[in-house]
Amino acid sequence: MTGHPARHLSPDDIDASLAGALGPEARRHLEECSACRELARAERELVRALAALPHLAPREDLAERVMAAVRIPDPFALRALAGAGRRLLRSRRALAVAAGLVVVMLGAMGASVAWTLAHRGLLAALSDWATGEALRWAWVGLRGAALNLLERPELGGVRRLLDAPALLALISALGSLGYMSGVLALRRLLAVPGRARHAGW
Amino acid sequence: MAADRPALAARSDQEIVALARAGEEAAYRELIRRYQRPVFSLLYRMVGDRELAEDLTQETFIKALNALASYRPEFKFSSWIFKIANNAAIDQLRRREVPTLSIEGSPHASTPEAVEATALQLGDSAESPLEAVEARELGGQIEAAIARLRPEYRACILLRHVEGCAYEEIARILNLPLGTVKTYIHRARHELRQALGHLRG
Repeated sequence: MTGHPARHLSPDDIDASLAGALGPEARRHLEECSACRELARAERELVRALAALPHLAPREDLAERVMAAVRIPDPFALRALAGAGRRLLRSRRALAVAAGLVVVMLGAMGASVAWTLAHRGLLAALSDWATGEALRWAWVGLRGAALNLLERPELGGVRRLLDAPALLALISALGSLGYMSGVLALRRLLAVPGRARHAGW
Repeated sequence: MAADRPALAARSDQEIVALARAGEEAAYRELIRRYQRPVFSLLYRMVGDRELAEDLTQETFIKALNALASYRPEFKFSSWIFKIANNAAIDQLRRREVPTLSIEGSPHASTPEAVEATALQLGDSAESPLEAVEARELGGQIEAAIARLRPEYRACILLRHVEGCAYEEIARILNLPLGTVKTYIHRARHELRQALGHLRG
């Protein structure tokens, strides 16, 4: 209490009383005023009862449920990063070398972007040439592989067939005819039930 | 190398947080062990529903432990986690009406399971059976009176007199001016005294 001893205790005075830190004037007032004494007693009782309220326990599996959703940082990665950081910052020279490397890398990236933008025509021509060359070499490779395959002794029948164009044409024609007949038969087979249903309506 | 339980139990919150940040799983579990009861108690008394308090406790820990990097060690860890818990409770109270906390269970509970879920479960103590019954009765009446307080009064009174937080700490946790916190606590105590006037008078 800060004012006249006759004034009743303020809430701050009650707090001080609860903490056992009441000033001399407030203490004198408390001895004389039964209303304030009763208030201080009731507050003390209440605070004691509140402090005695138990802590309640959650379900036992709380830790497991929480840990299943917590992302724990990888200690190895953290140690490696911290070690690298410490090594880097150990001396001014190491720091200067690291800074120099960063500057060189950034400079190289910048120069690369600038050169690309300035030589777009050249890059397009180079790209066309590279694509043409790649296709040509792919064709040469494929032909070489096919010829090598046909040279194998067990493929003698195929080689003889390729040497007789008339026979090859006949076989091709028969094959095409068979394929077309198959397609037509299949279409007919699939179309018949549909038509029958429509006819019934 | 993993720190073992007894060694961790002797360490301060700040040291445990540092170990957790370094990727020590045991440190995460130690933080859960230390704060699961205070956090669950605060949330249970704030929302008055056991299942909901379980979910909010889990949510609080997941949020806190996944954001350990943003925790500032100059503040108490308890303040930080209480702040997260209180925000979760306030969000929940804003989203929907939660049942009133009662030692007999919520009056809105329609099934025995719901009655059990909403009934306050007080912890065991070393009192005699008669004292235990009296304490249980008083505890139940206090719990019911706390549950009838406005949520902001409830949070203040629980943090101050159940968790033992200082006024300044409560102001930080609830993001309120110090004067407002003091006013809320004095008013809450006044309302509680009135509600419990017939007890131990």
